[in-house]
Amino acid sequence: MQSRLLPLLFLLSAGLAGVAWIVNQGRLEPADFAFANETEVQSLDPAVVSGQPEGRIIWSIYEALVQLDPEDRSAKPGVAESWEVSEDGRTYTWAIRKDAKWSNGEPLTAEDFEYTFRRFLDPTTGAKYAQAMWYVTGARKYSQGASGLKVGDAVEIELHQRPEGALTHARGQMLRGELLSIDRDTGYEDAEVEAKDYTRRHSFLVAVDGEERRFHVTVEPSPSEEWQDCKAILLDFSEVGIRAPNPYTLITELESPTPFWPELIGFYAMSPVNKTCIETHGSPDWTYPENIVTNGPYEVQFRRIRDRIRLVKSPTYWNRDKVSFNVIDAMVIEQTVTQFNMYETGQIDWVPKVSPLISRELMAADPPRPDYNPGVQLATYFYAFNVTRPPYNDVRVRRALAMALDRDEIIATAGAGEMPARTMVPPGIPGYTPQPCPPEDIEEAQRLMAEAGYPGGEGFARVQILYNSGFEQHETIAELVRKQWEKNLGITVSTRKEEWGTFLNSTSRLNFEVARRAWIGDYTDANTFLDLFEGDNGNNQTGFDNPEYNDLIKAAGRETDAAKRQEILMEAERLLMSEVPVVPIYTYVSRSLVRPSIQGFWNNLQDSHPLHTLYRDDELTGPNNFMEDAVPRKEGSR
Amino acid sequence: MTQQPQSNPEARAGVSLTQDALRKLRRNRAAMASIYVLVGVCVLAFFAPVLPLQPPDAIQTPLAFAEPTVSPLFVKTFDLDVEAIGSQSEELRELRAEVRSRRAAGAEIEEVLRLERQIEDITQRPYRNAGFPVLGPLSRGLVQARHAVFGSRSLNSVCGRDKLGRDILSRIFWGSRVSLIVGLVATLVSVVIGVTYGAVSGYSGGWVDNLMMRTVDVLYSVPFIFLVIFVIAVLDAPEIKAWREEHGVNRILIFYFVVGAIYWLTMARVVRGQVLSLKNEPFVEAARSLGVSHAGVVFRHIVPNLLSVVIVYLTLTIPRVILFEAFLSFLGLGVEPPDVSWGLLANEGIKVITPVKVYWWLILFPSLAIGATLFALNFLGDGLRDAFDPRLRSQG
Amino acid sequence: MIAFIFRRLVGMAVVLLVVFGISFALVNAVPGGPFQGERALSAETIAALEKQHGLDRPLLEQAWNRITGYLTGDFGESIKLGVDVKDVILQGLPVSAALGAMALVFAFTLGLTAGILSAVRRGTGTDFWLMSTAAVGIALPNFVVAGFAILIFVFAIPLFPAGGWGTLRQLVLPAMCLGAPYAAYVARIARTGMLDVLSQDHVRTARAKGLSYRSVVLKHAMPTAMLPVVSFLGPAVAGVLTGSPVVESIFAIPGLGWHFVQSAFNRDYFMAMGLVMVYTTLLYSMNLLVDLSYAVLDPRVDLRET
Repeated sequence: MQSRLLPLLFLLSAGLAGVAWIVNQGRLEPADFAFANETEVQSLDPAVVSGQPEGRIIWSIYEALVQLDPEDRSAKPGVAESWEVSEDGRTYTWAIRKDAKWSNGEPLTAEDFEYTFRRFLDPTTGAKYAQAMWYVTGARKYSQGASGLKVGDAVEIELHQRPEGALTHARGQMLRGELLSIDRDTGYEDAEVEAKDYTRRHSFLVAVDGEERRFHVTVEPSPSEEWQDCKAILLDFSEVGIRAPNPYTLITELESPTPFWPELIGFYAMSPVNKTCIETHGSPDWTYPENIVTNGPYEVQFRRIRDRIRLVKSPTYWNRDKVSFNVIDAMVIEQTVTQFNMYETGQIDWVPKVSPLISRELMAADPPRPDYNPGVQLATYFYAFNVTRPPYNDVRVRRALAMALDRDEIIATAGAGEMPARTMVPPGIPGYTPQPCPPEDIEEAQRLMAEAGYPGGEGFARVQILYNSGFEQHETIAELVRKQWEKNLGITVSTRKEEWGTFLNSTSRLNFEVARRAWIGDYTDANTFLDLFEGDNGNNQTGFDNPEYNDLIKAAGRETDAAKRQEILMEAERLLMSEVPVVPIYTYVSRSLVRPSIQGFWNNLQDSHPLHTLYRDDELTGPNNFMEDAVPRKEGSR
Repeated sequence: MTQQPQSNPEARAGVSLTQDALRKLRRNRAAMASIYVLVGVCVLAFFAPVLPLQPPDAIQTPLAFAEPTVSPLFVKTFDLDVEAIGSQSEELRELRAEVRSRRAAGAEIEEVLRLERQIEDITQRPYRNAGFPVLGPLSRGLVQARHAVFGSRSLNSVCGRDKLGRDILSRIFWGSRVSLIVGLVATLVSVVIGVTYGAVSGYSGGWVDNLMMRTVDVLYSVPFIFLVIFVIAVLDAPEIKAWREEHGVNRILIFYFVVGAIYWLTMARVVRGQVLSLKNEPFVEAARSLGVSHAGVVFRHIVPNLLSVVIVYLTLTIPRVILFEAFLSFLGLGVEPPDVSWGLLANEGIKVITPVKVYWWLILFPSLAIGATLFALNFLGDGLRDAFDPRLRSQG
Repeated sequence: MIAFIFRRLVGMAVVLLVVFGISFALVNAVPGGPFQGERALSAETIAALEKQHGLDRPLLEQAWNRITGYLTGDFGESIKLGVDVKDVILQGLPVSAALGAMALVFAFTLGLTAGILSAVRRGTGTDFWLMSTAAVGIALPNFVVAGFAILIFVFAIPLFPAGGWGTLRQLVLPAMCLGAPYAAYVARIARTGMLDVLSQDHVRTARAKGLSYRSVVLKHAMPTAMLPVVSFLGPAVAGVLTGSPVVESIFAIPGLGWHFVQSAFNRDYFMAMGLVMVYTTLLYSMNLLVDLSYAVLDPRVDLRET
């Protein structure tokens, strides 16, 4: 018997020793500043990521042409020490600073940006924000790849063979010429070809150096009698308005004057990437901490998946003397309650998004918290109708549903300091007055329902509200909207929750009736909320396609006069809000919880906070920048 | 187990075995108390609509997160529009007649379903406005009875209110209706599959056992989140959705089977392990030598000996199923608002446990309900195990 | 014994293949794909991304590529995290395993002691209270246990940190929360098993031979009584070692558990498949160990038969 238990005991102690060893592997010196970066980042490649957690890291380890001011998000010199705008507002000339360096010590030049932007637009990169650069001439066409080409275009052809002496992951040999014709492959002449299969089903006749050659895009090198195989066919990049006449000058030419262009180009997705690094290691290996070359205030020391990314101050950053923290930990903490717990016990210094429930308690705290100050954010929570489905194709029905809501009740119950919104564009954009949707008016709503043929809700098909699981708030709001519609209109409403993946699939395929959605502005301009609902915008997802509206958005894009442009955009929002394919519910507020000793942290419309301008001031007695504008809260306000 | 007294000697004793067991069970005070508790819970669950409770889905946002209160003990908030129910009947009769005539005329199924939905909506409207989830005919009758007896009076929120100002006590009662059925049905499904499968596998031995156990291994590993998402997607495909509506197969029904299908695996493994050690026991060999068939040996001699293990697993599985339901609901299968279940209540309760504020009533009262039921199940399980254990009996 | 192990290893290969087949079919059959997000991508971009990850190939070819990949230790690249799935597993598995091991040690010691004690003192107050506690342990889901444990041991009595990874102190609370329900189960099962054994012939014979009750319980009854416990722990070990999404996320522990759930929601095909394969391998190995331990613990089980 003892002999049987002995191995067990041995296993037990060996196991415990193993545990101790593994845990010890994870021991770290504490960082100067640690914050909850919510989820694991998708990648460290600026081109392919999207989302706020990614933004916080990318903005710290890279620096774009401009930096965005932590207080008002206006463009401030970054890698470009200055820039000039031509009189027609379409050409920007950027002066690259001479002391800009990569983390491997090499100088950063205008060519690096040319490379970065070309890669960013290249469809094979899969950049999620590529659209943000479509303001540059030719960029849209370039990023659409072969399917955007027209006969007569100047094109570039990338062959499978690499040029001699090129790095392992460099682009193939390039040929340039004029596109003569696009021909459907034999066997597919009459078939329906989906947009994503377009390239696979066509061959391209191109005049290269006066010689007519036929090309076909293939995945692997596969020679054929009929054509020459190639990796890709794109618009010739020289047609795109990005040029680097010398190492310290970069020129961007825009389709139309775009007043927010400097702010847009400071967006993290447009951060420069190192060509040598990418071509040596390939994707995704180049983003591994041991390979990555960056140019920002911080470098990645290591990335422990689902634990943290540790950032250390870069010794090569041009403005390193102004960077305060030497070591920063971006902690992966998914649960908002856990983030709060770790903040309260002093493990982290900043929680970017306190949960609504905790937020309500913090706002009602007595004495007022010195570290919590919600501010308006450029984001809207809204309900979208599927306007392709009856009865939601009837504008009277949509208006009735929009008017039968009680936003105050929704926010008082499910919200935490949010502002009821009747406009798609949140307030706070300079020079723009948001245009409201129909007011809350139950009698008018009932009248509209009757007019549409459903007096007292009779005969009206069941409404199903779709939302995604995972956030308590979505469910609470859906429940309230259900009750309000049922009570006010006499119709039958049900709610349906789907997990994230299925939800995205349902909304993008218009497989819903009414769905919960939200949109966060990418830049401080109304356009970021309004061009969504152009008929051909992939993020529209309501089926709304109004020619008048599409024209207005396009007209605003062409308009050179800033004030007139705002007028046109307002006109567009007025139209949108009278057609109500979407019903705004509330405007988001930022919900940062920041330790009082942290300076250099401001609330701003995009709820975006660079890390390298932060510093700790333990002597600080009064409120820090973040708390300065905090309004003394009413007693017991919720 | 079916007992056939005339065919073998041990089974004749079986009749007295049951009597003997019941006698023993009656002597076990904890077990008897548990039976009373469980019967009580079931009765209360069944009669929840008659009790003077606030409707479970009556949202009162101004009272969100109101603390438990007993003064006044009764409030007059309940409001069932009896007149509307009365005046509906004429309209409903017409609509039903139309459905019949359309059906007879071979109308499109879509058209018939639309009318049926309309009938359902009209029927449910007064109850819905009063704050009830979708009710079956029996529950509707019970609600009417309650209105006749108690009028607009209902018990104040003695267990507090949730984020939407709904009465927790009422939600616990209504939740029990869902959770008890989920727990029982899903567990029974898993026991029936698991015991049969495990016993056959263990008794057969050799390649049959091998194959059956490897199948279990495979099923263990298949990622069930994907499985559930897939099942939901299939259920929501337009053709299947139409079929489901026509035949009245709702998500809850599917849900029982999904849960049962997930939980039988552990049961099968455990039963097999027991059978492996039992089948070499003398009594099995004795039965074999008496010419009892394999099936007879498995189901008449071995399975009764497994009873103790099975009962313990049963009492372990029910609570897990009740809580697992909340996760499936997260994936989009299972209970959806305005229906409520104990799993959802527990889930909602824990979300409001934060260092800044503890809405204790949201977790305490649902936990008490779940806990009391499980305690009772537990002790009943022990009692049954002791009572039915053939070896304990032979011990005297 | 050797032949038995060999046969089971062959079985493992078959199981892995079948699991792969079913999972691959399921993963590809669910609606949605890895390249959907709050911001819709253009058709060209999706096509490019699919090409990058080899998702534009016919399904059978993809399946074949995956299988050959697994054989050469290539698990593919996580679509959502931009790192090799192998790295995710290599980093996450030790963490989950360490947490799981602690939880199991806790569950096993506590559960077994309680179970045996309660069986031996059957019908007494000790029995009642131990089993009541076990019932509570089973009834309370571990997110509830964790919620209260944090309130008590982090805020009311600041003994342990609220979360994170790197010190043993950070491991205590999550291990307890993860282990609590298992401890309760083990206690219940051990008690039942013990009661069964105590009434069996060989134990009664040992008693009749005049051995002390204590030595009968520990030497003769315990090994057999542990059978159902071991049989329960086998699958539980695989589950616990690969992490618990709930406990890991509540305590911000960088284990594997969260990936199981998240990869499904994100439709991260390679991650999901890689995790399934790792889990299957672990589960199968654990079950093999369980079956071997049957032979060690119960003299009546003959391996040649299984």
